[in-house]
Amino acid sequence: MNEPSKHKMTAAEKTEAKWAYAFIAPTILGLIILNFYPAIDTVRQSFYKSGGLGKGMKFVGIDNYTKMLQASETWQALWNTVKYALVEVIPGVAIALILAVFLNKKLKGTSAFRTIFFLPMVCAPAAVAMVWKWLYNQQFGLLNNIFHTNIAWISDPKIAWISVGIIGVWSVIGYNMVLFISGLQEIPGDYYEAAAIDGATGIRQFFHITIPLLSPTTFFIIQTRLIGALTIFDLMFMVMDKTNAALKFVQSVVYLFYDYAFTKSNKGYGAAIVVFLVVFIMIVTFFMQKLEKKMVFYN
Amino acid sequence: MKRFIALFVVLMLAISVSVAAAETLTVNVWDANQAPGIQQIADEWSEISGIDVKVEVVDWNNYWTLLEAGAYGGTLPDVFWTHSNTVQMYMDADLLLKLNDYIENDEAIDLDNYYPGIVELYTRSDGNVYAVPKDHDTIALLYNKAIFDKYGVEYPTDNWTWEDMYAAAEQITEASEGSVYGLALNTSNNQDGWYNVVYDYGANIVNEEHNGTTIDSPQGKAAMEMVRQLLTVGAPQSVVAETGTDSLFQSDKVGMITQGSWMITSFYNAEHADDYKWALLPYADVNGNGEADPEERWSCYNGLGWAAAYNTPNPDAAYSLISWFCSEEGQLKQAELGITMAGMPGISEEFANAFPGMDITPFLEAEDFSLYMRPYTRNTVVWEDALQQSGGFLDAWQNPEDPEVMEQACDNAAKIIRDAIAEEEW
Repeated sequence: MNEPSKHKMTAAEKTEAKWAYAFIAPTILGLIILNFYPAIDTVRQSFYKSGGLGKGMKFVGIDNYTKMLQASETWQALWNTVKYALVEVIPGVAIALILAVFLNKKLKGTSAFRTIFFLPMVCAPAAVAMVWKWLYNQQFGLLNNIFHTNIAWISDPKIAWISVGIIGVWSVIGYNMVLFISGLQEIPGDYYEAAAIDGATGIRQFFHITIPLLSPTTFFIIQTRLIGALTIFDLMFMVMDKTNAALKFVQSVVYLFYDYAFTKSNKGYGAAIVVFLVVFIMIVTFFMQKLEKKMVFYN
Repeated sequence: MKRFIALFVVLMLAISVSVAAAETLTVNVWDANQAPGIQQIADEWSEISGIDVKVEVVDWNNYWTLLEAGAYGGTLPDVFWTHSNTVQMYMDADLLLKLNDYIENDEAIDLDNYYPGIVELYTRSDGNVYAVPKDHDTIALLYNKAIFDKYGVEYPTDNWTWEDMYAAAEQITEASEGSVYGLALNTSNNQDGWYNVVYDYGANIVNEEHNGTTIDSPQGKAAMEMVRQLLTVGAPQSVVAETGTDSLFQSDKVGMITQGSWMITSFYNAEHADDYKWALLPYADVNGNGEADPEERWSCYNGLGWAAAYNTPNPDAAYSLISWFCSEEGQLKQAELGITMAGMPGISEEFANAFPGMDITPFLEAEDFSLYMRPYTRNTVVWEDALQQSGGFLDAWQNPEDPEVMEQACDNAAKIIRDAIAEEEW
């Protein structure tokens, strides 16, 4: 199908094309119904005020947007989300990389360790959050009991965002690690042999061979995790109660969206919030792509 | 391909659900404590009608998300509970089955027999009725005798003012050196908590016309000042935000809480239920005559309603089930089984006998004083949520030592309620 316009399709090719369309139709239909249509409709709704339960939509122009951009909670939520993304992505990638390097060596029990580190990934996020919620509990939580402290891990606005970030890091390390291990296995062993003969230590090898040659994997992980972290919702929703004073300083943009769209039945305003988030993620992705050209080393 | 399979599965599910709906009625409720009793009453109806009833419990938060999704998708349960927080929107959107004609032709139901506030709640401004009152609830004080004994504090009496409650809580908190709190009260304990203080002092959260508030009046501020003092001797906000006041109480961490009659079962079945005792809510001695006058002791009341979906495939059966639940007979049975108090006055005495060993008469005695309907407007959740969070009363709960913060919170709260009401207009 390089230059389809230049020659007419034969009957056989036409049949083939028909079958091809038939085979991709379910996926395309699914995409249109489940992804494209809702996405476009969300943008449309952001210009309306909804009367609750989908009845009585009223066109209000950019009112939702002006109200949202003037509200300090929007910017606070964006800042909370960025903070969460930094707390989750940077340690999440660094720790996973170190683990991957160790678990890529031919040692006894590596597969057992790999399984252990990957386990959080197969747990239901809501269940994970519930368990952490009790670990962190100020009155009866395991953490305060073990360390004989009385810290309000998830109610003190100063530390709650870090506590939530730690859950995020813990959940995502295994996934990052597995990606790193597959990246490591693509680096030819010859480089390390040559470096060893030249007298390079393990640490030098790590910084001068592993890190540059792993950069495509690293970049992929950072980019996908960043987008994942910017759309975080379940952690805050499960861990923190509505009357938690720290919530204001931890709630993410998607949490704010949920609160308006579903709790307060203001679909239009909620839609404006997600459009705002999409634009922000697009900007972040744009700069990430610029960075890719400079920082990533492809063979 | 995965997507295709998923789509296919969803389609099959949808088909099977709609087929099943013709032979059984799906009933949605949010209270797991009540579900077994509700199912029992419904089963008796099934024996007569030959139609099965499936009672499904969805917890309070997810109930409304599910119902809303059902409203958009046209797949509401056949029969379900409605609540003052949201029913206005469902009525306005014509999502509930209109019951006027059914009620008129039904000898078992006469709306004059029910609590008028609840009937009014489920009547739209054009006079159409969309739900029949299921029950009503009141509020009482719950205390842990073991804690009062341990620290040598006198038990609550029927003549307690909020100041007396403060003094007892202070004694417990101080004597235990903070390991036990005299009381616990979260911002979310509104209907069962601080709302009642506001009404005792002569103010309101939302007026009877549902279009204004007096929370920022001198009376409202005096009430919230009393609440502030209670908070200074109660569990701190960071504690109640992480562990609910009920859990704290059941873990023997708290001497007193206020609770609604819909929660009795939970405490009746608790491990230390023998230590628990109910008392009348304290009152505010506004006129200073040393005794509780009817207008000085208020209990919030609310009533759920049984409603049916506008598009239920079997509206006659759905109404027949509602009528079965709400008839005097059904209401008596509901009280006898200890599910809840009845939606009609005068037949709840049986309810008190449903909990042998636990005296719950304070919930019934509360009716000898004053009752107010749970405050509601068209979209209650908007301001109710905002009042509980920072920018509302949460700031004052966080910093109970400072009276100015509470006074400011009253002004903020009034603005929140008025702004929300203004937004509701079309």
